[in-house]
Amino acid sequence: MATVLALTRKVGEAITIGPDIRVVVLHIKGGIVRLGIDAPRSVAVHRDEVYSRIREQNRLAASADPLTTLDLERLTPKLPRRTHVGITMPAQPGEGSPDAHSCEDRPFRRHRS
Amino acid sequence: MPIRVRTGRFGDIEVDERTLLMMPSGIIGFPHATRYVILDHDRPAPFKWLQAVDDPELAFVIMDPGDLPCEYRVLLQPQDFADLDLQAPCDAAVFVIITVRGADPGGITANLRGPVVVNERTRFAKQLILSDDLPTRFPVWAEPSTMPTEPGHACAPAGLPG
Repeated sequence: MATVLALTRKVGEAITIGPDIRVVVLHIKGGIVRLGIDAPRSVAVHRDEVYSRIREQNRLAASADPLTTLDLERLTPKLPRRTHVGITMPAQPGEGSPDAHSCEDRPFRRHRS
Repeated sequence: MPIRVRTGRFGDIEVDERTLLMMPSGIIGFPHATRYVILDHDRPAPFKWLQAVDDPELAFVIMDPGDLPCEYRVLLQPQDFADLDLQAPCDAAVFVIITVRGADPGGITANLRGPVVVNERTRFAKQLILSDDLPTRFPVWAEPSTMPTEPGHACAPAGLPG
């Protein structure tokens, strides 16, 4: 980070970021601050440690070596071992049946490639 | 239309342009690479490679979460549907990114917190960060004795290093 802007806020006060993001200090107690974030859906908001953990895991994953991976495949248990995979979206009020919002057991193996 | 892709691990390969995955946000931590190709094996194998088209050295091992020893559920948010232009959940396919450490199968882990979802109709894809507290290092081939045996067992974070 090139520069850090430090602002002092009281409970109930807010900052705005850009045209449409607002962060409110909701509650402070014992060194814990509760923030309310009002942002468009298109802006992803995550706890930094979760985002960092995924990024770090991606970095580790990106160093895979094909030969090692091939060796490991020979050692690993034989497939198939299908278990249940579900893809779901939260039902929207007033929209069709619950089935329209869920897809069960769609194997990636059938992926067109 | 076949295009030539330069890769560090597999040499130069030719792939059908229509099979490319478009990832406008890239894989988290690698925003420079927005087009990927999935390299399949000729034989049944649990792993495939997700090779960046724009960066020869960037590739990930991936797998179908259906090969995990536990149930896996991905909850898409409305914004994911918008980002991927998804019309229905069944147009989506999901895979997880694998980390391989050392030469021990026990060191193979799957990132269940950050799966990649693909719209199979449009070939747009996105890495999600799930709000469920799932592990980023789920052991894929752990000892059978440590694995849940009853059907319907969800992939749980309990006792596993995140």
